[in-house]
Amino acid sequence: ALSEPLKAMIKAILIFNNHGKPRLTKFYMHYAEDEQQQVIRETFQLVSKRDDNVCNFLEGGTLIGGQDYRLIYRHYATLYFVFCVDSSESELGILDLIQVFVETLDKCFENVCELDLIFHMDRVHCILNELVMGGMVLETNMNEIVARFEEQQKLQKSESGFSAMPNRAVSTVRDMNLSQKLRDIKIPDMPSFSSLYQ
Amino acid sequence: MALVRVKGVLDHVLDKNLQDLVRGIRNHKDTEGKYISECIEEIKQELKQESLVVKANAINKLVYLQMLGYDISWAGFNIVEVMSSPKFTFKRIGYLAASQSFHDGTDVIMLTTNLVRKDLNSTNTYDAGVALSSLSCFMTGDLAHDLANDIMVLMTSTKPYLRKKAVLLMYKVFLRFPDSLKPAFGRLKEKLEDPDPGVQSAAVNVICELARKNPQNYLSLAPLFFKLMTTSTNNWVLIKIIKLFGALIPLEPRLGKKLIEPLTNLIHSTSAMSLLYECINTVIAVLISISSGLQNHATSVQLCVQKLQILIEDSDQNLKYLGLLAMTKILKTHPKSVQAHKELIMQCLDDKDESIRLRALSLLYGMVSKKNLMEIVKKLIVHMEKAEGAHYRDELLSKIIGICSQNDYRFITNFEWYVSVLVELAAHKGMKPAQGRAIANQLLDVAIRVQQVRRFAARQMSLLLRNHTFDKQRGGGGSAGLVEVLYAAAWICGEFAVCLAGDEESEDARRATLEAMSLPYVLQLPGEVQAVFVHNQVKLYANLLLAESDAEERVALTTELLTRLEQFVHSEDLEVQERAVCAHQLLKCTAKALRQAAASKTAAIFDVGDVATEDGAGSTAEADGDAVIDRVAKELSGLFAGELNPVAPKAQRKVPLPEGLDLDAWINEPPAPPKSEFDEPVKRKSGKSSGRKKEPEAAVSATVGASASGATNYSSSDPTVAWGGASGGGFEQKEYH
Repeated sequence: ALSEPLKAMIKAILIFNNHGKPRLTKFYMHYAEDEQQQVIRETFQLVSKRDDNVCNFLEGGTLIGGQDYRLIYRHYATLYFVFCVDSSESELGILDLIQVFVETLDKCFENVCELDLIFHMDRVHCILNELVMGGMVLETNMNEIVARFEEQQKLQKSESGFSAMPNRAVSTVRDMNLSQKLRDIKIPDMPSFSSLYQ
Repeated sequence: MALVRVKGVLDHVLDKNLQDLVRGIRNHKDTEGKYISECIEEIKQELKQESLVVKANAINKLVYLQMLGYDISWAGFNIVEVMSSPKFTFKRIGYLAASQSFHDGTDVIMLTTNLVRKDLNSTNTYDAGVALSSLSCFMTGDLAHDLANDIMVLMTSTKPYLRKKAVLLMYKVFLRFPDSLKPAFGRLKEKLEDPDPGVQSAAVNVICELARKNPQNYLSLAPLFFKLMTTSTNNWVLIKIIKLFGALIPLEPRLGKKLIEPLTNLIHSTSAMSLLYECINTVIAVLISISSGLQNHATSVQLCVQKLQILIEDSDQNLKYLGLLAMTKILKTHPKSVQAHKELIMQCLDDKDESIRLRALSLLYGMVSKKNLMEIVKKLIVHMEKAEGAHYRDELLSKIIGICSQNDYRFITNFEWYVSVLVELAAHKGMKPAQGRAIANQLLDVAIRVQQVRRFAARQMSLLLRNHTFDKQRGGGGSAGLVEVLYAAAWICGEFAVCLAGDEESEDARRATLEAMSLPYVLQLPGEVQAVFVHNQVKLYANLLLAESDAEERVALTTELLTRLEQFVHSEDLEVQERAVCAHQLLKCTAKALRQAAASKTAAIFDVGDVATEDGAGSTAEADGDAVIDRVAKELSGLFAGELNPVAPKAQRKVPLPEGLDLDAWINEPPAPPKSEFDEPVKRKSGKSSGRKKEPEAAVSATVGASASGATNYSSSDPTVAWGGASGGGFEQKEYH
């Protein structure tokens, strides 16, 4: 049993756009980076040929290749959400789960669009981690997931001091050419205490 | 000093963050690779800084690059550094990077044990939470061993959020560290009744997964799950439990019988399609396991099939797909119920959705009858021509062969039709070797077993050999499958050469076939196929030789073949070479004998004048010559005489042992045992059980004992488990509505 490969219930979760560019990739079994890219390409090939009014289940592909796995996907505007799952998962249940994931993203990003995922991939991972853990479904209640995400965001904001400035402040600072000004600063000599108590 | 530190941080304020990186990549679409290399260099510099802030930012960027396909394992140590940051903001970045890039082979994992333990025990909920989540992605055996206790403790945390995550993580711990299951199991079972639904759900999830791998050990939990099934309103939990029952049913048929009623009720009452579908699936599993009690459960079968029909007819493609999927399961044990929906399934074959077509295809096995086989196959061939995906086309081909050959060709009424179908299939371009082989095997099988079709089959194969479009330029790249069929074609023509002889209906095809078998392209075929070509040319030739009466013709035939075989004699493939050389020598001898016989005949004719008195002698010589030639021809064809009949796999057993042969007796005297005080002399007796050792049985009973004691551990304290009882347990009293 120790040498048995970890068979995840959900093997991978992929989000990519209509051109196959990855927006989020989570593999719950180990694949080297080049294999991961091949899987992404292949999954995109399979999924993009499908009409919009066919079923959301796919067979065939490396991820699947004869084993117990199936691709379950949904297409929202410019993005494909693909879950690769095994037979321990309910197919319709996973479809519902994808819907929960998307609605949660919508709530957390306020009318989520592809750009949000592009620029804030780390936040999307944070949300996903509340939904699925190690390839197993963790939580299916949207409100619970949103609440957890927002608490974590709040925690990060409360930790922020100088070192975690919001973006606007950063760009303001950038425009000031601060680094040049810093180099020009002449730091005056501090009085030495020892001289005071002579 | 403080100012210097501030200065240092400010310097790095202008480091690119994640958004800058993404923006930069988008702005450098044409030089993306180069731009990213520069960014990676910057990241490497940032990782050399002391500040964890800077490092965390760098790692955040690396996670993004990993998604684009860049290996980030070189930053493993830095990732661990960031994981150890006291601030959640940075810690979570480190853990994210770890979950995306750490795996069994990552050596820095061993550095994480203590810091993960610290986070698991942190008072900050989210520190623990992020550690738990991330750990589920890179759990190794060592980590499982070292952290099992800490995780187990979290299963009873006051915070449901952490309990939930800890419970789910235990599954990974169990996988990597199986010994942890026993001590943790009690607590896990308790979590099935945790007040928090999320925790309960996680516990159900874990136990269902454990039970899938080892159903036997969890049979005792069935009553507990039964209770959960009737009290829970969470569809996810219900689905998991019902799926679990599906796995337990084959082991305990009584469980199945008890489940029919509650499941049927759920089917009638639920509005959740996902739940409905899983209930149907499990009812099917029950029906399969108790198929002996068919009469009592006819209504259940009916209900399932009826519900599935509704699913298949739904316009929602997903429901259609799942309906077909479930039908496939019923097919095995209740084919008649499925056959009633033949029309519906045939319609699905025309669905524009390939997934649905594939499902409908797998149902075809049960649909086929003698009457509709040809119609179905015709439809499938049409599909093959239209098919876009190679996978679908291959499936179609396998199915066509599958349904035709099932049950020893039970549904085929006309074998000539089937041979033509196979020939038609063989003509498809771009066929893969596996498919070609399948067709070839069918051709061979049918030709050997169905005597009546041999004439037709041989003629078809002859045509194939003479007219096929094997692409010589491309070395047969596009016709890898066709090559396999040619193998069969050559063999059939050789073996049943007699069928190619001329008769009232057609001309003699043997010479033409023979010529076709030594065309130059044959040298490009794979070795095994060439070998068959060589050998069967000789068979064909032998047949021709026997049939030919004219001596000169015979000699000509022989010399012709000799010349043609020369191209194979120098083949690189050993088998081909051997066969060609053997054949060559054989033919040389034959040629010599034929020539001598012919010469003596001619001599006898010309000698008539000289040996006037030996009229009889002259004609005898002539007759002798003919006789020799005939004998040579007969001997040659004797090499290939006899029909090859297919032999049943169990035929050997039916062969009676000859008298006096004891297969179990020792052939030689056993060797003398080694002289040692610890070795007992090995006693041997001749007879049936001589070689069988008794030791393995002891080992078997040892393991049974171990797992039995393990099992009692799980169910000992629970009085509700009266499951094994002869009366069927205290189950009857409970209400399930």
